[in-house]
Amino acid sequence: MNSCNSVNNVIEFQSTIDLGKSTPIGMANMDGHVWVSDGDNNMLLHIDQNGQYINVYEDFDRPMHLSANDGKVYVPEYGKDQITILEPDSRSALMLSESLDAPASIDVTSRYIGIADFYNHRVLFFNGLDWVQVGAKGHNKGELYYPTDVQVLKDRIFVADAYNNRVQVYTHEGQHLLTIAEDDKLNAATGLYVTQMHLYVTDFENDRVLIYSHQGSLIQVLDENLSKPTDVLQVGNEIWISNYGSKSINRYAQYRIE
Amino acid sequence: MKYLIVIISILSMFFTQIVNVSAQNSIDQFEVQVDGLGCPFCAYGLEKKFKELKGIDEVVIEMETGVMTFSYPTDAMLTMETVENQVDAAGYTAVNVKVIRADGSEEFTKSIEAVEVSEDALVAETIEVQGNCGMCKARIEKAAKAVAGVTEADWNKKTKLLEVVFDSSLTSIGDIDSAVVMSGHDTQAGRADDNIYEALPGCCQYERVK
Repeated sequence: MNSCNSVNNVIEFQSTIDLGKSTPIGMANMDGHVWVSDGDNNMLLHIDQNGQYINVYEDFDRPMHLSANDGKVYVPEYGKDQITILEPDSRSALMLSESLDAPASIDVTSRYIGIADFYNHRVLFFNGLDWVQVGAKGHNKGELYYPTDVQVLKDRIFVADAYNNRVQVYTHEGQHLLTIAEDDKLNAATGLYVTQMHLYVTDFENDRVLIYSHQGSLIQVLDENLSKPTDVLQVGNEIWISNYGSKSINRYAQYRIE
Repeated sequence: MKYLIVIISILSMFFTQIVNVSAQNSIDQFEVQVDGLGCPFCAYGLEKKFKELKGIDEVVIEMETGVMTFSYPTDAMLTMETVENQVDAAGYTAVNVKVIRADGSEEFTKSIEAVEVSEDALVAETIEVQGNCGMCKARIEKAAKAVAGVTEADWNKKTKLLEVVFDSSLTSIGDIDSAVVMSGHDTQAGRADDNIYEALPGCCQYERVK
């Protein structure tokens, strides 16, 4: 299935933002501006909707999938086992009772926090009161093998179960609800993004992004203009996809605005 | 008395500097050319795991060039072979290792001893090898090229086919197949040891046929 010639298509390629020497891993949206983590160069890029640089923040240790909320950018520092909170005039560490081993992703909402804890093969979820462990190392349903991305909704948690090559969905109590994409021959599901209607999954080694319904029905496969895609983000009326391989971001128009 | 204090202070500073120079010189600097750094999650993770090794310091991997550098105390007597094995065991494929010892001497890994091949006996064959990524590619090709008599090895991630050129008077496709299997990658003819497979980085753990 290609991005063209289908009545079910969700998005269509428009243009590319060249990031120069920067290798994007994660993206987050705040006040219409986009934060991009550059893992190879240990920095964050702050860019506007046209891809123009606003600022660059250095001295992170392998920053990964970001989150932005309430004026703060949450940066998982994979090499430092820490979540750093970046504010306009300061940096601080998110205090956790559990130790992390290579945090690959964080998602922070006004109420919840989810953290993908890569080498511990689990997600840590803060439900507003307590931290709950979601998943454990393994290959069976509900188990995780190197999770690399997480997104928390009001009633569910979506996890990119990277080297099990699938996405898993859990309740806030950590119960497994659904497995998505396991028959679609992914080669490392390294990133995900959930919009109001769709689930986007990056298929890193196959240079694809697959778009599903929340229930797991495959709707569209993007397999052109992509090079080791790592993350997806809604920016205004557009969908952006970061390419680690080509050091760029692709911009797509949506057929149905969500 | 005042002069004595000044002289003692100067001598003290002088000896402190000597001690500092001596301390700096007790460190060996390693430079490893690593192949197959395609997946950032594994590459950054392996860098992180290296940083946890006792005594190691200043671990940096330049993703663009594939060069990993680190320093290590001289008295630990870290050998080139140990470094190469450690890098390979961590999932990387070490192409070259260079060390600048504290005394200024330099060492390099010995390249695989070139074997004289007979042009008339060269044959090209293809075998199917399971793998996922750029790190797999580097490991598979290194295993094949380590077999005496193999002149070329090229594995394609999409087709899963390994094309090799070798001197059929020195080796066989069976030997090459075995060498690849020993590196942790299943072929049509052989299945890798489960322990070796499990030790591969997560991104390299291809889907196995049961």
